[in-house]
Amino acid sequence: MTAEMLLPVLAAAVQAGTPIFYATVGEILMERAGILNLGVEGAMLLGALAGFWMSMATGSPWLGLAAAAGAGAAACLLHGVVCTYALANQVVSGLALTILATGLANFLGTPYVGLAAPGFDPMPIPGLREIPVLGPVLFSQDVLVYFSYALPVAATVGLSRTRWGLRLRAAGESPTACRAAGLSVARLRLGACLVGGMLIGVGGAYLSLAFTHLWTNGVTAGRGWIAVALVIFAFWRPGRAMVGAYLFGGVMAFQLRLQAAGTAVPSSLLLMLPYVLTIVVLAVSSRWGRFFGAPAALGINPEPSE
Amino acid sequence: MEPIIRLQHIVKRFGPVTACDGVSLDIRPGRIKAVLGENGAGKSTLMAVLAGQYRPDEGTILVDGVPTVFRSTRDSLTAGIGMVYQHFTLVPAMTVAENVALGQEGGAWVSPAAQARRVTELAKRLGLEVDPMARVADLSMGERQRVEIVKVLARGCRVLILDEPTAVLTPTETEALFVALRRLAEEGVAVVFISHKLNEVLSVAHEVAILRRGRIVDEMLVSEVTSPAELARRMVGRDVLLAVDRPPVEPRQAVLRLSGVHGGGLAGVDLRVRQGEVVAVVGVAGNGQSALVEVVCGLRAPQGGEAWILGQPWADFHCRAPWQGGIGYVPEDRLGVAVCRDMDTVDNFLLTTRQGYSRWGWMERARARAKVVELMDTFGVYPPRPEMAARQFSGGNLQKLVLAREFARRPRLVVADQPTQGLDIAATQEVWRALLAAREEAGVLLVTGEVAEALAVADRIVVLYRGQVVASFAADDEGEVARIGLYMAGAARQEEAAV
Repeated sequence: MTAEMLLPVLAAAVQAGTPIFYATVGEILMERAGILNLGVEGAMLLGALAGFWMSMATGSPWLGLAAAAGAGAAACLLHGVVCTYALANQVVSGLALTILATGLANFLGTPYVGLAAPGFDPMPIPGLREIPVLGPVLFSQDVLVYFSYALPVAATVGLSRTRWGLRLRAAGESPTACRAAGLSVARLRLGACLVGGMLIGVGGAYLSLAFTHLWTNGVTAGRGWIAVALVIFAFWRPGRAMVGAYLFGGVMAFQLRLQAAGTAVPSSLLLMLPYVLTIVVLAVSSRWGRFFGAPAALGINPEPSE
Repeated sequence: MEPIIRLQHIVKRFGPVTACDGVSLDIRPGRIKAVLGENGAGKSTLMAVLAGQYRPDEGTILVDGVPTVFRSTRDSLTAGIGMVYQHFTLVPAMTVAENVALGQEGGAWVSPAAQARRVTELAKRLGLEVDPMARVADLSMGERQRVEIVKVLARGCRVLILDEPTAVLTPTETEALFVALRRLAEEGVAVVFISHKLNEVLSVAHEVAILRRGRIVDEMLVSEVTSPAELARRMVGRDVLLAVDRPPVEPRQAVLRLSGVHGGGLAGVDLRVRQGEVVAVVGVAGNGQSALVEVVCGLRAPQGGEAWILGQPWADFHCRAPWQGGIGYVPEDRLGVAVCRDMDTVDNFLLTTRQGYSRWGWMERARARAKVVELMDTFGVYPPRPEMAARQFSGGNLQKLVLAREFARRPRLVVADQPTQGLDIAATQEVWRALLAAREEAGVLLVTGEVAEALAVADRIVVLYRGQVVASFAADDEGEVARIGLYMAGAARQEEAAV
């Protein structure tokens, strides 16, 4: 494969990886606080729909983005409230959120199928776009991709260098320690749901406002589940999540190219590639992840204090 | 000196049970006050009231003379009360500095380097040295406790309350803790030391308050106390013997033999237990005790070396021949491992004793129930109601049930892992008597963190350090017993540990 053929694939990999990346970082924040959220797929889908609808109604993709963040946060907060106050099983609540949100998005979204909304178009950065290889791959993208470049640093610094991040991690590692320090585990976890849910919603909006500008039902197509798997692959670290997301983006872009090039392999098999990779990645990294990075109180609801 | 905290007639009820029945207590700066009491005397409820977890039904808490209501842990911390619980409240995955920062208020940004400097400074001043960048998970129990104390004091607490602080420490670490506590008292910190260990109270505290059945029944200066026995009498309300009778039994053939066993933290353990003797394995928690117990009880395969149980190789005993209850196992975790918490006592009895209580595959519950009633009577289990779920019994009574169940099979090897942990003096003695009675027919392997327990019941003492037996001697060998602290800390080992 020559460079001229490879660069567009790499650029497409970044583009395809970005929504997964947003969702993965959002899920990492929630899991670091101890909330296992299997509702990513659903929250993403709601974000995609809310963003699309708002952008279409107002003509402003930025308002659409805000609506997507709000919808994602609302969905994840619902999960958070059910888990922290009603002490529901986190796995069950998360799955229920995905089922609920998928149904809701399909129901509300059907009238818009095939319609277009104003979105984010590629906006090459003058100067940087001239850099060989990196220019066309990284700096000829849309503005949401550029935002995402700041995520690993922002999330890492936020988790390790701010008091909020320290407390959030404590809520995920040892609720007892949190309580003894006079902190509210529930409030910390809900804070993580809010911020994480916003990122997940933005990840969804990327699909309906930047990746395409059209609405299709089920636009997330399992990307939320890939994000859940990537959190384990990333050992709960935002920097590694970026690598993983682009890896998956690469596989998705690659299979599209193969289809376009007209290989003999049936397209349905090619479509399976990202999900096969998910299983492989989970099988390999789960062995290590359990000992290396998983928050100790992940998925565990502390008993109410009195 | 004016008290920092003054409790006035604190009453806390849980349904029909009155846990605190009018407790009044003054906590003064610069004094170490011991609160002495048996299990169920109301110590933990009193702690929870001070920590802001429970609100008292009656009574007042005065902070610097001002009546104050603690609505939450935060209020109690604000009043300057710092708790060091028996189960540490640290985040194992975080560093020492991060753990200290977690308890503090401050700006939005946290700088690890500056935080580490602050911790080092404070720790040095208090004589509680810890490495601020070490992960808590890598620290020993003694070091973790130091981190807890530093964490509490870094928050500016003026009152330090410690719940059974020596339970997890080696004798050397205990001594270091006492030095630190005395230093803190000199600096003007009020220290409250909750314990049921008489000797420790006498050696560290300035004053003692005795809590019995939710009331402070006695308060005195330590200088007025004449003997531990007197203190024990006041605590229990009747005379107690601090030792149990140990009739001599002639040891017979070996029922357990390990040679060079590895795996799960064991690094070549040699051990022998004969019928008719109690062998106590002592050591600081985490030196391979749990792996040892698991290997003997068949929960973990030995990774090398040889293990013989009741005369059979490990694999034959645990994997092939039905072992028919030849081992009696008293696990450390009573409620989690020994029993199913929500099952009643009859089902729990049948869990490990099916032999003789089943016919054609059907359990004979009625016969089992009769047996349980009989056992409850023999072992003095209260309340003697077989239909109660395991979790409804107090720690001491549950332990008696477990012992009764295990000994009812007349096992030839008994493995007891921390059997008296958290039990009061009376219950402890009953457990000791039961172990000594079992030794008539069985070999007893007793794993304990308490040297006093080993001295009370064991015929032979074995010290485990980093997965190896570093010393093994007769319990009446006073020269070796005096060196036991050194062995436990890894500072010495016998030239040739004779097993």
